[in-house]
Amino acid sequence: MSKKLVSFFPDNLRVEIDTGQTILQAAAKAGIALRGACGGKKVCGRCRVQVRKGKTAFTGAEKILPEEAEKGWVLACQAVPEDAVEVFIPETSRLTEHRVLLDERRPGLLAAVSGEGAAELYPLFRRTAVKLPAPTLTDNTDDYGRLVWALKHEQGIDNVMITRQVLAGLPGTLRDADWSVVVELASLGPASEIQGVKPAAAKDAAVYGLAVDIGTTTVAVELVDLENGAVSGSAGTYNRQAVFGDDVISRIVYGTETPGGLEELQQAVVETVNGLIAELLHTACLNPTDVRSVVCAGNTTMIHLFLGIDPTYIRLEPYVPAVNLPPPVRAAEVGLKVCPEAWVYCLPGVASYVGGDITAGVKVNGMAEADPLTLFMDIGTNGEMVLGNREWMMACACSAGPAFEGSGIACGMRAVVGAIEAVRVLPGGFEVVYRTVGDGKPIGICGSGLIDALSSLYQAGVIDRGGKFVQGLDTPRFTEGEEGPEFVVAWTNETGHGRNIVLTQADIDNLMRAKAAVFAGIRTLLTTVDLEVEAVERVFIAGGFGRFINIRDAVAIGMLPDVPLERYTYIGNSSLKGARLALLSREVWAGTADIARRITYMELSVGNRFMEEFVSALFLPHTDMNLFHSLQGRNSAAT
Amino acid sequence: MAVTIVKERWSSRCLEGVFGTGAKQVKAGGESTLPFLHFEGEIPNPPVVGLEVFDAPPQEWPAFLTRVYDGVLEDPAAWAKKCVEYGADMVTLRLTRIHPDMGDVSPEEAAKVAVAVAGAVDVPLIVLGCGVEEKDAAVLPEVASALKGKNCLLGLATQENYKSIVAGCIANGHGVVASSPLDINLAKQLNILITEMNLESDRIVMDPSIGALGYGIEYAYSIIERMRTGALMGDKMLAMPVVLLVGPEAWKTKEAKSPDTAEWGEQEKRAIIWEVTTATTLIHAGGHIAMVRHPEALNHIKGHIGKMMQPQQY
Repeated sequence: MSKKLVSFFPDNLRVEIDTGQTILQAAAKAGIALRGACGGKKVCGRCRVQVRKGKTAFTGAEKILPEEAEKGWVLACQAVPEDAVEVFIPETSRLTEHRVLLDERRPGLLAAVSGEGAAELYPLFRRTAVKLPAPTLTDNTDDYGRLVWALKHEQGIDNVMITRQVLAGLPGTLRDADWSVVVELASLGPASEIQGVKPAAAKDAAVYGLAVDIGTTTVAVELVDLENGAVSGSAGTYNRQAVFGDDVISRIVYGTETPGGLEELQQAVVETVNGLIAELLHTACLNPTDVRSVVCAGNTTMIHLFLGIDPTYIRLEPYVPAVNLPPPVRAAEVGLKVCPEAWVYCLPGVASYVGGDITAGVKVNGMAEADPLTLFMDIGTNGEMVLGNREWMMACACSAGPAFEGSGIACGMRAVVGAIEAVRVLPGGFEVVYRTVGDGKPIGICGSGLIDALSSLYQAGVIDRGGKFVQGLDTPRFTEGEEGPEFVVAWTNETGHGRNIVLTQADIDNLMRAKAAVFAGIRTLLTTVDLEVEAVERVFIAGGFGRFINIRDAVAIGMLPDVPLERYTYIGNSSLKGARLALLSREVWAGTADIARRITYMELSVGNRFMEEFVSALFLPHTDMNLFHSLQGRNSAAT
Repeated sequence: MAVTIVKERWSSRCLEGVFGTGAKQVKAGGESTLPFLHFEGEIPNPPVVGLEVFDAPPQEWPAFLTRVYDGVLEDPAAWAKKCVEYGADMVTLRLTRIHPDMGDVSPEEAAKVAVAVAGAVDVPLIVLGCGVEEKDAAVLPEVASALKGKNCLLGLATQENYKSIVAGCIANGHGVVASSPLDINLAKQLNILITEMNLESDRIVMDPSIGALGYGIEYAYSIIERMRTGALMGDKMLAMPVVLLVGPEAWKTKEAKSPDTAEWGEQEKRAIIWEVTTATTLIHAGGHIAMVRHPEALNHIKGHIGKMMQPQQY
């Protein structure tokens, strides 16, 4: 197959692609992350690029004006180079530097959380020193048998195995070290694999592990010293799979319907992780071979794609994943640039839409070992939630949609620099005050800003309880846009891109559905076990998004249950923290499998309870005001 | 052997709506129990039954139905009078000609028809638009103003167009028919939205959307039943009287439209039975006002209600 050369500017990068591949695929290959919320379906119009030289075949003209097309503007996901092309990528089409939400480390936060500190430091990869008796004519046990015996008698370690490679050099190593060695062991369930035998002096060398959180949107990695459990560094970035779609469904579709799509997705996420690893190792002056163990947490789809496992049936009824408890695999097999023999452990999931990230969160917040009735939610592209305590746990996942991550919203964006993260609309809708991430000029609105906006638009009388714009408001901020009425949050002269930042009726409808789905999930869980909202003693909120939720506003719009605010705790990125704890503790690792088995998964698409709850939640704050006692003074009459 | 009658204790009751003016004023609702359980609570008002009038001769009615309104089909006022002669407690005027495809007549024109009908009868009037939400929103306020002081019911108000209709009702002393698509939550939401415009809740009548017998009646039954139990358990936003717009549903069924055959028997008898069964079934679910088309159906339903209103001999 012939190749086409694509050059990207201003990056000045060149890549070769196969004939028939798109500019988007070329950009991905060049390591340039383009915005592509729709997964190459030519509907979002965000991956606009300008072809400045060369010819492309382009079929997605709807999103490009004729005068723009004349100047070479195309959608990268639809444009197929016909010869060598030069492509200019504007800033607005790029995924900008992302503020990844790493763990919060607030003092006092861990007080509510068992686990860290509580679990014994017993990493999945560890070293132990043993002294073997030298062989004699009367004690002629073989070298390996002697090592196994010593591990058992000195350390109580049995059920060991060994790689051929280590075995090959064993006789020499043992004799060179004068029978006093350090044994490197990796846990594999109840067994331990001997990954190295070194002279005792080698104990001083560093051994590190990685905790990895593979999110649909972002990926975060921590470099952890396995000797003392200290975090030596952390890094985060966008998941490069984002160019293939915003949510797990569009990625599964891409992976299963595009030839080679699954490999592309696997490569994209592995490269994302490798990029972060390289950055961390460089900063810490370490070599890839110093990393001896990796624990990954992610939703079920992300883990499937990371391991290159066919995700097709996650999307199709009855929604069964290939595997909930994936076995450990060698780093070399998935392509991670660490010690090739290092084991990569993926935290066990519960079901197709409740993955290892949730299991990790449950382990971290300690609800599985505690008495109080706890509600744990991870709100991202999907809203997953677990309800229960030490005696029982139930989980469900509701497709809240990516609205809170800024997708599917006209001026929506992720929580990156320039995103409006807090908004207040004054009564009547004349004045709007807002705050942006990084305090710069706004270029869009992120999830927390959208929650604020919904809440204050209602309180200001701009929208009614049904989420519809109130007609006849005397404010210039209320205008008729291309797609119906819209509310101007920031005027052209305030913004960073010279366009109005608006909320359309469709945006508000989207947000209403998203918040209704979250609340309906909570209510469905509660009513299934016949409990009232008041019975929930603690609420933990996790996810990159959770850090920014204004709880008061989220309750005011009826997205979160109306329980006293002090019952709420933000736990930040509990997925990453769970991965780190598992990396450092065999006990935690085993505990996550136990948790995954103990959680009862409730499929919301069975029966009509969720739909019923959903419709009653499609109101501000809710059709049943009795569920929102604390708001009854604030909002008017209806009871 | 003595039987102990089990009685449910309800904490609340349905709202009582008062419609029309003068001697023929109608009250609906106000019960403190489920339909016809006289031994358990009070049922101050029997369910109300009325007939429909159109502003133009209906095109798809069978001959045996148009025959009973012979001579008045061209004149809504005379038609309405005829309905009262047949025993209707209320009359529903359907403004079909305001529909953009059926003449698109102006709000003023529609209001004139409504005034003529209101002037011809002394029973309470329900005025319904054509179902095109924007058009109804434009026409009904005009009708409301023309009928000022008559204490009518205007509809159908939906979540899309309730604002102008409700404003018209508030300004001119009418009630509103709040319509929702077979969903108790949506019905409740609309009631909340309307009361938040400061229309008194006893001026709202709920149209839950119904299906005829064999055409999803069980959905309507269950929604209406839940509205009633909700009201009795204290949910003020579900306590409004329920109107059953039986006519259009019953008369579009296959059973009402198919001609006489050996297996199915006589069409006229069958159609009337269908209308009666649909209406009475939903009255037993908790409906308060039934609007039908055939005077014979009206008589059967009223006869049934008369029997059901006899106190039980326990």
